[in-house]
Amino acid sequence: MAKYVCTVCGYIYDGSDGPWEDLPESWECPLCGAAKSEFELLEEAPSDVKPVSESKDPVEFKEDQGNLTSLEMSALCSNLAQGLEKQYMAMEAEGFRELASYFKKVTAPAEDPAYSKMLDLLETDLNEDFPRANAVAGEAEDRGALRALVWTEKVSRIVKSLLNRYEKEGESLVEDKDVYVCTICGFIYIGDQLPEVCPVCKVPNWKFEMVEAR
Amino acid sequence: MARKYAVRNIRLCTKDCLCLYVCPSGATDTENSIIDVDKCIGCGDCADACPSGAISMVPEFYPDQQEVEDDVVQSMRKLTRSKSEQERIASGLSGKLAVAIEKSNHIMAEELLRESGYLLPQSDNTKQFLQSLLDKPQPEGFPSQTVEMLLEKYEKYQEEKSMDEKSTTLDNLMAAFTGESEANRKYTAYAKKAAKDGYVNAAKLFRAAADAETIHALKHFEVAGKVGTTAENLKDGVEGETFEYTSMYPPYVEQAEAEGNKAAALTFTYAMKAEEVHAGLYQEALDNLDKEEEEINYYLCPVCGNIEKTRPDKCWICNAPGEKFIEY
Repeated sequence: MAKYVCTVCGYIYDGSDGPWEDLPESWECPLCGAAKSEFELLEEAPSDVKPVSESKDPVEFKEDQGNLTSLEMSALCSNLAQGLEKQYMAMEAEGFRELASYFKKVTAPAEDPAYSKMLDLLETDLNEDFPRANAVAGEAEDRGALRALVWTEKVSRIVKSLLNRYEKEGESLVEDKDVYVCTICGFIYIGDQLPEVCPVCKVPNWKFEMVEAR
Repeated sequence: MARKYAVRNIRLCTKDCLCLYVCPSGATDTENSIIDVDKCIGCGDCADACPSGAISMVPEFYPDQQEVEDDVVQSMRKLTRSKSEQERIASGLSGKLAVAIEKSNHIMAEELLRESGYLLPQSDNTKQFLQSLLDKPQPEGFPSQTVEMLLEKYEKYQEEKSMDEKSTTLDNLMAAFTGESEANRKYTAYAKKAAKDGYVNAAKLFRAAADAETIHALKHFEVAGKVGTTAENLKDGVEGETFEYTSMYPPYVEQAEAEGNKAAALTFTYAMKAEEVHAGLYQEALDNLDKEEEEINYYLCPVCGNIEKTRPDKCWICNAPGEKFIEY
């Protein structure tokens, strides 16, 4: 029987619940919760050889677009704060934390925020920008960048799965359920049986953080 | 300052407390469980002793981060932009899922930026980023003092790192000088032994190699900038010899006598007395350095290393006959 592999966490469906084709579309990865559509046939060529030639065209930011937005600066500062925490530089870490909060606070709210807008952006990420970035980083043999891309692409797939399910199921998707985010890679888990380690970055689950509604 | 210092991961600490017993400076015993950086001498004994692997040695300075190619940066930045925008959209939506997605996107943006040239906090990229914040007008409420503090910390780190790098090479030169000097004396001793036993070729090789080590030692010493003016060098000679006869040799002699090692006690005593003579001669030469003086001949005792300005009947330290003294 054909086996299918989860592109997010690597879980392999071996047909124990019946043939793949018979599984309902609502079936999800028992390990990470990814949608059925995130699985691919195990015999297929691995996904890292799929970059398309045109996707290697360099990215060009127009004029001021290259500057970091305030929310990007917030992420930059919180990233640096984490690095400094790892180095036990408490004072410097605190300084960057303060800057990260400042930049988050001054970010203008999104106009007409909608789940569908996030899905649109994710489509472009997954169909164009991840393949291109993977190809460019692969060519440069930049394994650090490739690592970041592997994690963020998998998490993006999970977010896409969740958004698709949310469109169908609405609030019942998360109602009376615990929602966790992996503080290392951003993986999202819904339910009460946290995996021992993060299916994406493999960190132990005490690094997960439970999310509360606003 | 220590090149490495100990840090304790409190989550891993099982309170077996061996670190408290082995720490020679008391740095590990603190009321907040954080090892005292100022007291830590970087010996690593606590990290070696800790049974739970809770203590690790952290370097004071980090190597420069890996270069990231510009097109990699650009393609990662494009994704960062999208993740940040998704974070912004999610932050405008209510519900647990939106909160989770907001967090998740923030973490992804951090990750992508980290690998776009912002991995090491102490990098030129970070410095330029902080500087750019100060260079442009910022609205009221912008924490410019924090940015200034972070820039100052960075400058100080860079300064200390570059001083440390220079001092590392200087340390290496002096360590090499010590090693080569030791090798010279060792090979000279081996040459003497080989000659005595009739191994002519081995004796020659040892002498040549000993001279080679002298060449190395002299060059290392010179490059390290340790050769000063003759006045400075004489002063250094006085200090070195004085240290040896007042502080170094007396306890050595005492210890050798206590152990009943007569040969060691004798060679230490000869050296101790001779060093005192040397110190006196260096001081005299220093005092008369710029005075017009007649040429002096020095006479060296080949047994104990005593130096005289006239050939004596016999050495006052070791009784060696005067005719054995070597003239300089």
